[in-house]
Amino acid sequence: MIELLMTVLSTTFFVTVVRTTTPLLLATLGGLIADLGGALNVALEGMMLVGCLTAVIVSVFAPWYVAVLAAVLAGALLGGVMAFFHLRLKADIILVGFAINILAAGGTVFALTLATGGDKGTSINLTSKAVPALDLSFLGVIPGIGDFLVRMLSGHSILSWLAAFLVFAIWYFLYRTPWGLWLRGVGEYPAAPEAAGIPVNAIRTWSLLVSGGLAALGGAQLAMFNYIGFTRDMTAGRGFIALGAVLLGARHPVGALLAALLFGVFEALAVVMPGLFNWIPAELIRMIPFVVTILALFLFSYRALQARRLRSAGH
Amino acid sequence: MSALLEAIGIGKTYPGGVVANDGVNLSVNAGEVHAVVGENGAGKSTLMKILFGIEHADRGELRLDGKVVSFANPREAINSGIGMVFQHFSLVPSFSVYENVVLGSEPHAGIRFDRQKAIAAVRALSEKFRLSVDPLPPVGQLPVGQQQRVEILKALYRDARILILDEPTAVLAPQEVEELFVAVRALVEQGRTVIFIAHKLPEVLEISDRITVMRGGKTVGQVAARDVTEQSLATMMVGREVALRVDRASNDGAMACEIKALKVKSESGALLVDDLNLRVHAGEIVGLVGVEGNGQSELLEAIAGLRPIADGVAYLDGTSLSPLSVLERRARGLASIPEDRIARGLASGSSVAENLVATRLDDPRYVRNGLLDLKAIKANAEKLIERFSIRVGGPGAAVSTLSGGNMQKVVVARELSEQPRLLLVNQPTRGVDLGATQFIWKSLTQARDAGAAVLLSSADLSELLALSDRLVVFYRGRIVAAFLNSDTLTPETLGTYMLGIASQTPEEMQGGLR
Repeated sequence: MIELLMTVLSTTFFVTVVRTTTPLLLATLGGLIADLGGALNVALEGMMLVGCLTAVIVSVFAPWYVAVLAAVLAGALLGGVMAFFHLRLKADIILVGFAINILAAGGTVFALTLATGGDKGTSINLTSKAVPALDLSFLGVIPGIGDFLVRMLSGHSILSWLAAFLVFAIWYFLYRTPWGLWLRGVGEYPAAPEAAGIPVNAIRTWSLLVSGGLAALGGAQLAMFNYIGFTRDMTAGRGFIALGAVLLGARHPVGALLAALLFGVFEALAVVMPGLFNWIPAELIRMIPFVVTILALFLFSYRALQARRLRSAGH
Repeated sequence: MSALLEAIGIGKTYPGGVVANDGVNLSVNAGEVHAVVGENGAGKSTLMKILFGIEHADRGELRLDGKVVSFANPREAINSGIGMVFQHFSLVPSFSVYENVVLGSEPHAGIRFDRQKAIAAVRALSEKFRLSVDPLPPVGQLPVGQQQRVEILKALYRDARILILDEPTAVLAPQEVEELFVAVRALVEQGRTVIFIAHKLPEVLEISDRITVMRGGKTVGQVAARDVTEQSLATMMVGREVALRVDRASNDGAMACEIKALKVKSESGALLVDDLNLRVHAGEIVGLVGVEGNGQSELLEAIAGLRPIADGVAYLDGTSLSPLSVLERRARGLASIPEDRIARGLASGSSVAENLVATRLDDPRYVRNGLLDLKAIKANAEKLIERFSIRVGGPGAAVSTLSGGNMQKVVVARELSEQPRLLLVNQPTRGVDLGATQFIWKSLTQARDAGAAVLLSSADLSELLALSDRLVVFYRGRIVAAFLNSDTLTPETLGTYMLGIASQTPEEMQGGLR
């Protein structure tokens, strides 16, 4: 137990948490944008997965940033497909979302086979690149805390810093710009923006494009930093956890960050614990993030229900 | 004076062949309140949608300031200075008043939404037009009357010279109607023009300068408000003489339904009906008065078995209803005409004949050995279609093909095909034309005269005053006043209690509670 505590309090654990949180956070922000625009994006999982594969394959031939950009575009494209089927052809968004997830699960394996000439499980034979880590070791000159700062802040993926910035940028967009007002209005009561002459469907389309792009950016981090390379179904439900994190974060960007961090911590625990407790089956430990998701959502719903009761009793 | 806005020879046929407008003329002068009246289905709404660019005319032309215009969409109409306030508000509930007002045309500084400027603009507008409303709280928390002001402010913020109000008084209590009229007069004083769609004639006569009457998609005529009476307007609207009064009951029946200390709670636990006591006798109509959402609907639903009773008892002829299922309650003589005929009163995809027996599927006359007796069902339908003069192609026609009035007649026919002991009625004539309204009123009074105890809820005070023998006023789930109906009872008196401004003492209520 002491060992676990020591591990959790170490700077290495913090770095691990940032690493595990980043893909989740990016996907959660993507889910948040779509959700506030009134579309429940259940395809986050598939979009992340396609983001993973696109990033890996493109990075074989191009610099890392081109690969990341390609992943974002691939995700946005899937968002566009969703918008087309849902908004133009009036298909049910949940069904479209699941179609994309199934397409992504099978399509990535198929594309991988084509790209590697036969490998069906991993991209181990492709020499894919990684997203560089930001080196902040110059902070070490600060007397006293310099060393600590370097260990905490140096070595994170550039995309982790980008994700942190995006939390702020999306908050500013949603609550400080007119277009954020439009997006929230479209999601809550589309008849109002419609009557005000705001193009409701165009806004929904944009929200799905951005949602797909963000989820795929999370995929790029997963396949170009957390792991180097692609493995089939490597997202392992992160897209669905992100969907839960949107709700758990009370549909707010800062809440999304906290919820993603919560799941990130438990995923990091699942990474470090097998080394410490070899008597617990590793499979059981790997279940932790999923069990925590269910518990967290249960508690969240229960508390929201209680709060509603209290509020209406006060009337 | 030349007209500000003119519609000349407007024709509109919807896909499916419904002729909504057929050579409609409208001429609105600057700075007047111009009412457009007509029964439901007369084509008022279609005309307004054409003026606002939501629908497009097949024939005819619109002129604004003497120039021919056409609006491809509402945005273009708004840009030309036309604003519209719909019956169903287009407001985002969680947004504040000022956010709703400026939505779509926000003031900004760089990419930032300039909130201070928006708040100041809303304050200035609400002062100028005497539409007092606090810009800061979320609109979802405001009463309906204030939400309507927000809608009007929205149009004024976009510089509407012409403001179209679609049945603005339908959702308001009498006092709120007065406040609306104050604002309308302020608008006209400031040179704006108001087009006022309505079917409540006393209000129309009070507020408008000129009135255009529509019937069956055509304009019947245009009159000055001071030249007409309520009766002559009604005759113009319907095309024949109409009696707007019904006889009250004189018989004094035995007690049929007793409600004791009844409580009903919402899913989140809020008290919707709070400690309610009420007795209803055979052969009387008790009107439930109140602004919508004060517990009237919930009381009716609880008695009908559509909502659980949290506490207290409701007796029908001495039997407690709580443990009984909906079907068991119906077997004891309960009938219910629900508020929303499409969602709860009918299966709109099924035929008229099927709907007419939907509550009697355990009746051996229509179901034998678990199989439907189609011949008997059809015969029943033909009989009821005849008796309630439902205008329909035949018993096999789907209910969804009927007009609102005829749909409601199907519900009424089913519920009254056998004489009920207790009849629950909620909004019996909402969205129903005058002809069908008269017929439904007559059916309800006939059921009463045959010995039914009737609980009637309606958003239309004139309907309640016309039909009820007694009236009880609901405010926040409680009865705050009770009256025996008489010609001296006015909507204004009821309004004071509806808004919770006053409440009767238990002694005062005695007379109305029996």
